[in-house]
Amino acid sequence: MFRKFVKYLVMALFVLSLFPTIAFAYLDPGTGSYVLQVVLGAFLGGLFAIKMYWRNIRTFVANIFSKNASGE
Amino acid sequence: MTTQVVPGSFRDPSGFLFFRDDGIYRQINQSYQDNYDHLISSRLYSTLVDAGLLIPHEEVDDEPVVAETAYKIIKPQMVDFISYPYEWSFSQLKDAALATLAIQKWAVDFGMSLKDASAYNIQFVEGRPVLIDTLSFERHQEGRPWVAYRQFCQHFLAPLTLMAYSHINLNQLLRVYIDGIPLDLTSALLPVRTRFRFSLLSHLHLHARSQERHSDTQDGSARQAQMGKNAFLGLIDNLQSAVRKLEWRPGKTEWGDYYQSTNYTEASHIHKKEVISRFLDQRRPGKVWDLGANTGVFSRLAADRGIPTVSFDIDPVAVEKNYLETKNGGKLILPLLLDLSNPSPSIGWKNEERLSLLERGPTEMAFALALLHHLAISNNLPLPRIADFFHHICDSLVIEFVPKTDSQVKRLLSTREDIFPDYTQGAFEAAFSEFFQIEEAVPLTGSERTLYLMTKKSL
Repeated sequence: MFRKFVKYLVMALFVLSLFPTIAFAYLDPGTGSYVLQVVLGAFLGGLFAIKMYWRNIRTFVANIFSKNASGE
Repeated sequence: MTTQVVPGSFRDPSGFLFFRDDGIYRQINQSYQDNYDHLISSRLYSTLVDAGLLIPHEEVDDEPVVAETAYKIIKPQMVDFISYPYEWSFSQLKDAALATLAIQKWAVDFGMSLKDASAYNIQFVEGRPVLIDTLSFERHQEGRPWVAYRQFCQHFLAPLTLMAYSHINLNQLLRVYIDGIPLDLTSALLPVRTRFRFSLLSHLHLHARSQERHSDTQDGSARQAQMGKNAFLGLIDNLQSAVRKLEWRPGKTEWGDYYQSTNYTEASHIHKKEVISRFLDQRRPGKVWDLGANTGVFSRLAADRGIPTVSFDIDPVAVEKNYLETKNGGKLILPLLLDLSNPSPSIGWKNEERLSLLERGPTEMAFALALLHHLAISNNLPLPRIADFFHHICDSLVIEFVPKTDSQVKRLLSTREDIFPDYTQGAFEAAFSEFFQIEEAVPLTGSERTLYLMTKKSL
């Protein structure tokens, strides 16, 4: 998990260096909020990917069983 | 034709709200054209409206207020009563937070994102939280973090966590801080155990720390970081589970006590309901405010007749219970927190952004049931001033006089000196006659109380 987090963080910093653009919006997102969000997102994005992957497996298995059940 | 721009609608350059003759309108500026067109053509608008999450509107040909910048004029559906987050119970604020996140998830699916996450953009329409700002969406730029993340944490997550972990009345801080509760203050007020929950640790405590650390950052490079779609969705997903897990459970005794600690017999309770129902059928008001509504038993008499009813009470437990009941039916009731001795003031820029209670009136009919003694005796308010207040807020009034011989008043007077020689039924009628025509006075069966129907006099 930690390695994945580090991997995301490194990737995020890499992407950062590729697109040196500043986003403008009518709300100031706040630098501290912005930085925290990116770091947190790197970690939570990994968890989210695992969650979605796991959900897909569960749906797949559930579908097999429901097909079997309806076939009986 | 009179046109008046809504004073609270000025921060977002995408457009603004204005009142004109028969209703409320929104001017959409040319700068927002691309985003508005995408909202409609991507079907995000119709999806959200069908899901009951976004206020419906129609495009109209009316003349714009500022023609040079105008792209379109839209006429959103009117909201019966505008309420504010410091007037909501715990579950109302929680449902508003979850609605905001659900909208954001839909928006991402349609290539857009919320550019603000203000609690003031959510209103309760037929019992459900609905986004009323059609201009809150912008095209999502891949890699860009959620611009409204800070605002979501300050407007929703911070007050909800404070209410759940510290004190239910801390939502009142929203009255002081119009852009949500600052995270450093939130972090300082929360108990240590909130640091052991990952979502609260990160979105509140570490968030506050990061803000402090970067408060003097001048260079924009810190804002160049990007986040992928999974990171973006993961953040929203985590906020959603953090909000869902927040709970507030008042003590069992507090929940159970309502309408059992009064001195009503079953017969007088039924009689009171009958008289109020008759007054409602006689007057057929278009809207009702029930002041001191408790859990909304009498508000339901109005709502059952199809009348939108705002059900105010000072007690967060009563308002919470009332709201949870409206979710199982009674959608025309809007339960709200209100201390009548210090009602919501007008706040924000020029004291015009959020309206005071009185500015949101008057209502067609007000209920003041089992309320008078709390105002007159607990709050030392002279009867003529109480009458004057009701004259400001309603066209007709259903008010209950509770005499000193009533057990509830005796209880209020048991711990203090009786400095209220003028608190008599005669003085009450005299004071209210200055402002109202007394139409009927009905003594309630099995009690010493009297129910009045009054009509406002034009002074």
